Amino acid sequence: MTGAQTTGKDKALEAAAVAARWALGAFFIYMGLKKALDPVDFLKLTRQYDIVHTPFLLNLIAATLPWFETMCGMLLLTGVAVRGTALTLVAELIPFTCLVLRRALALHTLHSIPFCAVKFDCGCGAGEVFICRKLAENCLLILVSIWLVSGRGRALCLRHSLFPPRRSPAPPPSL
Amino acid sequence: MPHTKPEFKQIILEALLVIVVGLGLSLAANAISSRGLVLSRDYFPGQTKAVPVAPKPAPVVKPAPVAPSPVSTNEPSEAELLTQRLRDKGLQELNRAQTEKLFHDPRTREERIVFIDARDEDHYKDGHIPGAFALDPYHPDRQLETVLPVCVEAEQVVVYCTGGDCEDSDTDAILLRDAGVPNQRIFVYGGGFTEWSDFHLPLETGARNSGLTNQSNQSKPK
Repeated sequence: MTGAQTTGKDKALEAAAVAARWALGAFFIYMGLKKALDPVDFLKLTRQYDIVHTPFLLNLIAATLPWFETMCGMLLLTGVAVRGTALTLVAELIPFTCLVLRRALALHTLHSIPFCAVKFDCGCGAGEVFICRKLAENCLLILVSIWLVSGRGRALCLRHSLFPPRRSPAPPPSL
Repeated sequence: MPHTKPEFKQIILEALLVIVVGLGLSLAANAISSRGLVLSRDYFPGQTKAVPVAPKPAPVVKPAPVAPSPVSTNEPSEAELLTQRLRDKGLQELNRAQTEKLFHDPRTREERIVFIDARDEDHYKDGHIPGAFALDPYHPDRQLETVLPVCVEAEQVVVYCTGGDCEDSDTDAILLRDAGVPNQRIFVYGGGFTEWSDFHLPLETGARNSGLTNQSNQSKPK
């Protein structure tokens, strides 16, 4: 493989990563705002997961998560703190996907219907969805986020990293 | 593109910063938003603690057993679940026939029997049981001032929401009970607005007593 080929492939990958970053950002802004504009609905859906039983914690999750997702989306779209934001999204998406899976399995068992026929509003902002589609979508979001954590998608960023890159110590002056 | 250890530490620090700043901004956005949630409020009161139903029956309508309806006859377990849910919360259930009877009772016009709509404002304006008061259990502050004195004076209070697994009517009933309305006077119409409109019963649109009434002949059974 020649250097020119490598550069071309890298450029294509970088362009794809930037597009993925924008798409991920736009997705989270859209989903976040949809939930933020109807927090009561999101509160009811959050409650259905039966993960917290303290009203304050339940309210805190329902009140902050939609806005937090919107902010993460904006950071990705503008290219600020990209890797930290993407890592945060991975940390949010993995447990959430597990919760969706757990609830889907419970419904699958309760109603004795095929797993992929299970359909419910998972509180993602898109209304009722078929579970297999939702799980595939979440896996894709996780993969894209991990890709961005790896450092791709630096082009057209306002400030890709909040902290300046560490430089290797200067070599001792030669005598 | 493997990360070096210090680089990964930077990413984690960046993520923590995003979380802290994001949480702060999210709380601020929730506080500013007119639809924001009050963090200290229990929006689902009485979910864990069941209050026993008063043994004394109500003056006119006795609590219904399982309420069969066109919506629920095919799935009796849902009706049973509804009855059980209300029982667990110490609430009394009304079926459609009982609710209709109360609606046509002359005492309804005198506000001795009061209907409470627990759905949000938009749904209420689209159509509600004529004369029903709106009481959104998630934003009750403004409406409770008007509704509570009427309910305290009323002989019977009928609360409804969409019906089925909608628990907003339960929340309103508990809200009223906690505010001082005797529990034995409070009833939850389990079939809710969906069943009411499916049976083409009278509806009122817009504000309460707007005079804009119509039969719900355009609604389709679900």
